[in-house]
This record gives sequence, structure tokens and C-alpha cells, in this order.
Amino acid sequence: MIMKSRISPFSQSECFRLRQGLTSGLVMLLPLLLRPPVRYPHTSALLVQCVRTQRCKTGTVLCSQTEHFLRLRIPLSPQSRGNKNQSRRSKGQEEDWKTRNKTVLTYIAAAGVGMIGLSYAAVPLYRLYCQAAGLGGTAVAGHDTDMVETMKPVKERVLKITFNADTHASMQWNFRPQQSEIYVVPGETALAFYRAKNPTDKPIIGISTYNVVPFEAGQYFNKIQCFCFEEQRLNPHEEVDMPVFFYIDPEFHEDPRMARVSTITLSYTFFEAKEGQTLPLPGYSYN
Amino acid sequence: MSTAMNFSSKSFKPRAPDKGSFPLDHFGECKDFKDKFMRCLKDNSYDNSLCRVQSKDYLECRMEHQLMAKEPLQRLGYKDLIDPPSPSSESDKNT
Repeated sequence: MIMKSRISPFSQSECFRLRQGLTSGLVMLLPLLLRPPVRYPHTSALLVQCVRTQRCKTGTVLCSQTEHFLRLRIPLSPQSRGNKNQSRRSKGQEEDWKTRNKTVLTYIAAAGVGMIGLSYAAVPLYRLYCQAAGLGGTAVAGHDTDMVETMKPVKERVLKITFNADTHASMQWNFRPQQSEIYVVPGETALAFYRAKNPTDKPIIGISTYNVVPFEAGQYFNKIQCFCFEEQRLNPHEEVDMPVFFYIDPEFHEDPRMARVSTITLSYTFFEAKEGQTLPLPGYSYN
Repeated sequence: MSTAMNFSSKSFKPRAPDKGSFPLDHFGECKDFKDKFMRCLKDNSYDNSLCRVQSKDYLECRMEHQLMAKEPLQRLGYKDLIDPPSPSSESDKNT
């Protein structure tokens, strides 16, 4: 069964969190970007003068608009009394305020739509990032059995694989590896043996799982065939050899995080299985 | 370790083997081949690349005795050992 790349639920909640974070962060920045205008008249006068004398190169339209904007935001002569002036100014001001409000609202709406779009875009972006960085246990893309035929051994990188065997406390088998270590190179298939003996007078069914240390190297450790995850029955006083046929993915050599890894430990643990019990096989779906 | 609940720790996720599980060799039919392989490993200081012929023989024995699904050896990574005679003698020397 070929394992396709699959997102674990863990990374989806991370996705959701990232989305929330982006949205809230940018919403918080919005008021800073659309800052309320300055309240102090003398700074506003300076601003208007600055804008006028600057001769902005982006076009006279923008200059005049900025001047207009600044002059009308804060009245430069704050104390003018006179109803005619006030009504004229207030009418003009109201219109300008209306147009200004409209533009500001348009900008805010556009920013809101942009945030929503960004939060949707974050999901595939995060997935790409996860696959590249290998976070959250996402499966390495491109792991399939046809690769075994075409892969080339990377002869310059020699790795030492050490073997460890454990049994559960109540499991009475004698289980041990037949070699303490083996030297392999990535891209080359290798065979290793464990031995299990049932010293008791009744048949015992065992089922095993494995672990690879360091964890990051575990994604490159591919087993073609082994004796794990399925029930193995040993009759009384029976001793068998249990082979493990595996290879290290040649991409191991190109991963910069694996540059200092030269020893990988494969550890098997046997548990006693009750009759008819099935261990959930990782990566398989159940019907 | 694989049950650590840390946010940033990379936990180990065991994967099922590609071709499933080996049936147990209850009768020791391939024990000789296994012994040859183990002896080869011991003699060559546990270097796998020098003992590939013996491992290939062991797998062929398993396939003969119905202890393993029959597969062409190229699909098990032994392409270099079953090439046409002239390159294979070279590759045998290399491996």
C-alpha cells in the first residue's frame, strides 16, 4: 500500500491558528495605517507647508489632494467667528468629510476582503512550508515502491544502524537482535535479523511496533518488509529468525538537517496480543 | 517520546512496511542462508554493501518456500546484482 502525503490533524489546527494570528495582527495594524489626523494646529500648518514646498514627484494631483486634505482636517484659523463663514465652511467641510469617509470606508473594506483572501491563501502556503520544513510529522512526498527500483546508492555516506529489542513486561518471549549494528548507505536495501524464542509451554502471540531514533531520520527509514504490526505466533519452545528488509531514502543525504546524523537506532518492542486482537496499522484506512 | 505533547517537537510516526509482514519461518527452511549472511556480516565488520549477494540469496530462498511474495529482484533493489554478465561481475566486485 502506497502512502500518499497526508496532513495530520495537528497541522490543521496550526493552520487555523496561523490564520487567526494573521487576521488579528493586520486588523490591529489597520488603525495605525489609517491614523487619525493630528490634533495640533501648528503641526498641521507645518505639514501643509511641508507638502506644498516638497513638490512631490508623484504628480500634482496627489499634492493638491494632500494639501486639501490637511487644510480641511484642521482649520488653520481656529477662531473664526461669523455664521456665514461657519455655515459655508461647515457645508464644504461636510461634503469633504463625506467623500473622505467614503474613501476611507472603501480602503477599509478592501483591506477586510484582502484579509479574508490572505487567510484562505495561508492554508496551501502553510502546507508547502510544512512539507519543505518537515514540521508536525507530515509525510515526505514521493515515497513509493517504484523508487526502490530506480534509486542509486549514495556510496559516500555510510550510516551505522544499531538495533535494539524490547519486550513488554508481561511478554515472556526472549527477543533480541542478531547483530548489534550494520553499516549501510542511503539508497541501498539492507537485511537485518532478530531472533525470538518462546520459552514457555504454551503458544504466545506477539505483535510488535518499532521506533527510530533520531525522529527526523525516521521519515527516511523505509521498511520494505518486516515482522511488525501483525500477529506472530510462536509455539512452545520455538525459536524463529525475524528479518527486517529496509533501506534509507537517498534523499537523506541531501537533507541539511541530517548532515550530522551518522547513527540511526531501530528499536522493536513486542507486546503480547490477545486472540483476535488487531493493532491499528498506521497509515491504513479502515473500512 | 512518540506521545510527547510538545507543540514544536517532531514526534515519530511509525509507518507500516511497504510489502507487509514476513511470514514466520517456523521450520527454519532458510536458516542456512541466514547463517551464511550473518557469517558474511561478521567477517566484513557488518558492512551491508559487501554482503548483498548473501542477502539476495536469503530472499530468493524465502520466495521459493512461499515465505515471501515473489517479486522480481530489481524491485527489491538488487538491480545491480542481476545485470547482464559483464557489468555484473564488476558490480559484484564493487558490492
